[in-house]
Amino acid sequence: MFYEYEIDYDTQNSYEQGLKEAFWQFLVIPEENDTQEVTYWHFENDLGERNSVSVNGLGFKTVQVRSKMEIDHIVFNAHFKLIKKEINPFDFELPLDSKEEFVELRSLDFRTDHEPFLRNTRLTHLPEKYASIFSFDENVSLFENLQALNQWVFNKIFFKPGVTDVRTHMEEIIEKRHGVCQDFTHLFCAIAKKNGVPARYVSGYLHQGSGFFGDSQMHAWVEAFVPNAGWIGFDPTNNLLANHNHIKVCHGKDYTDCAPLKGVVYTFGKNETKYSVSVKAAQQQQ
Amino acid sequence: MESATDKTIFSSYVRKEGLFDEVFKNNGDVKSVYQKLLDLYGSRSIEDYVNLNTKAKSSFFNQGITFQVYGDKQSQEKIFPFDLFPRIIDPKEWEIIEKGAIQRSLALNHFLWDVYHDKKIVKDGIVPIELLSSSPNYLHQMMDVDPPSKIYNHISGTDIIKHSDGNYYVLEDNIRCPSGVSYVICNRTALKRALFGVFNHYKTHTVTNYAENLLNLLESVKPPGVDSPVCVVITPGMFNSAYYEHSYLAKAMGVELVEGRDLFVENDFVYMKTTQGPVRVDVVYRRVDDLFIDPMEFNPDSALGVPGLFAAYRKGNVTIANAPGTGVADDKAIYTYVPEIIKYYLDEEPILKNVHTYHCSRPDELQYVLDHVKELVIKPVDEAGGYGISIGNRLTKDEIEKVKAEVKANPRKYVAQPIMSLSVHPTYIDEKESFEQRHVDLRTFTVLGHDQQFVLKGGLTRVALKEGNLIVNSSQGGGSKDTWVLKQ
Repeated sequence: MFYEYEIDYDTQNSYEQGLKEAFWQFLVIPEENDTQEVTYWHFENDLGERNSVSVNGLGFKTVQVRSKMEIDHIVFNAHFKLIKKEINPFDFELPLDSKEEFVELRSLDFRTDHEPFLRNTRLTHLPEKYASIFSFDENVSLFENLQALNQWVFNKIFFKPGVTDVRTHMEEIIEKRHGVCQDFTHLFCAIAKKNGVPARYVSGYLHQGSGFFGDSQMHAWVEAFVPNAGWIGFDPTNNLLANHNHIKVCHGKDYTDCAPLKGVVYTFGKNETKYSVSVKAAQQQQ
Repeated sequence: MESATDKTIFSSYVRKEGLFDEVFKNNGDVKSVYQKLLDLYGSRSIEDYVNLNTKAKSSFFNQGITFQVYGDKQSQEKIFPFDLFPRIIDPKEWEIIEKGAIQRSLALNHFLWDVYHDKKIVKDGIVPIELLSSSPNYLHQMMDVDPPSKIYNHISGTDIIKHSDGNYYVLEDNIRCPSGVSYVICNRTALKRALFGVFNHYKTHTVTNYAENLLNLLESVKPPGVDSPVCVVITPGMFNSAYYEHSYLAKAMGVELVEGRDLFVENDFVYMKTTQGPVRVDVVYRRVDDLFIDPMEFNPDSALGVPGLFAAYRKGNVTIANAPGTGVADDKAIYTYVPEIIKYYLDEEPILKNVHTYHCSRPDELQYVLDHVKELVIKPVDEAGGYGISIGNRLTKDEIEKVKAEVKANPRKYVAQPIMSLSVHPTYIDEKESFEQRHVDLRTFTVLGHDQQFVLKGGLTRVALKEGNLIVNSSQGGGSKDTWVLKQ
């Protein structure tokens, strides 16, 4: 089964004092992978500057815009058409015996190969006092453990926009029990890594089928590595496995690697960023 | 100029017991290689020496050969104190140093390739993965990137000491942006101006060929498809402590000295803004730290870098020297593995020895360190320039407790080494108006290019000017000497 989507990413940045020179990098192009294919893209900025497609340090496509004139705002729009395949998250070889899975996780080769996604980062560092806030049960499969973690995070945190940002410490998220998809994702990653499971932050678009959280903004979810199965997507904000509604842009160690917009602007004073995302299902094909 | 009534310059030189003096034997005789030099210097009086020293100093100041000390608000620029009595290294000893420095650089280059590709050395159980993953300089972005000619550490500065046992030991590797080479060349120039005659009696290797070799190196690692590459030196700017050196090297190589804002990236190519319009840049000799070279990939607050530079590098459109991510191999915790690293990749015994090092990250070694702080040098693993070093036998009781608490709180951050007795060299001390023994080390400069291995025949002899002091870094009040490597 195939799904066809049209995605719009629109942003407007205004700078109170104006800019002489600036460089923006947008990390918004959907990834090409086994389950999704970009069939059309179009970028536009109102400065008349070139939109250059580049690749970032982790291998994901970006769009770069450099302004050479004096300006006080930039409007940037990206439009994509994309075909997404149905994902069957259970489509993998019979899992190893759960005991063997945990042995594998501890092996030196495994820890070495997956080092970047086992590394502690500032945003995915589980505070020492919560080190055993969620422990894995080695008598059941890793996949089941991760599903349980997904549900646990979903129940633990209440979705509440506007109360946290990238500077919010994980301790506060755990204690105040509120946050947005970034916070759900960071908490899941932190706990998975603490238990030796490679986990990465995924940034992307969510097609809002039936009132999921995360539409009209970029969404975030988790990919965790299960031996013999590979990377599996978990969406703790919605207590779901990633499915055909999850359109991946990129992954990284945490939000820092995946920020949709990075910019260097030489200016003083305030700036304001507005952005919106829309994901429409064009068609369903058998 | 000579006045026979004055005392000669070494008449009040005191040799302390237990120190390894590079010029005098234990029985007080002069070592043969220094005999001629001593005869020449000995025919002069202290007053002559004071005179020459003052002239040399003003020559440094007038040329603007200065550096800046971080955290010192009193003065912005200082002259790097220069001593007119040179250090001589005989050809046999130099051969060992040179071979050892090349061996080390090659092995570390293999190590860097490996940790950014298959990580065999980790999987074979030689270097623990935790050491890599806890290093802020182990860059995820460099994974599977193939730098031109597979070279990461184009320029290495290896700090070597001569211990009281007469052997050379490596104290640390500097393979991010090692500095100091401009002083090597300026010291030679200053000594030639002040005492040209002495060079007639010694066949000394030149040091002025460094810039030529550096430029050859940079051109040899140009991106594929470029015929005559445009090279630049990128500096953090005039407030950087090594700004003099950045400008010196650019001038000596005949290339542009730029700051981040002088470059821009478009369509994954790097350009320099010039009065004649943009000029494409092919090789960047960067003197800006990894984490500041591109705010798109690394520290987003960096105003020193060039947005988009790393993407251009990853695409192979520009070469960065040294490659980003080399810092993982000059971490002081990795240092302790260098002998194993040499054996692993080159199947050779290390030519230069390592100083034994205790890892505070290992519980049993941590305990040893905590119990023996008094006998050890405690160093943070990721600081350069001699910052944060504690020397056990110089600490008060309170300071020892402070150090212990700090090490206990952050064991991964520290390593410890036995206090090594660096060799001493007669050094003119202004306040005393005489020569005294002072500890010295040696920073050598190794250049690895495409089919090119070069060690500058000389190096920076750094002197700890405070009596008994073992830290020679210029930021910690060290001076320097011209260093002569004699021809066979």
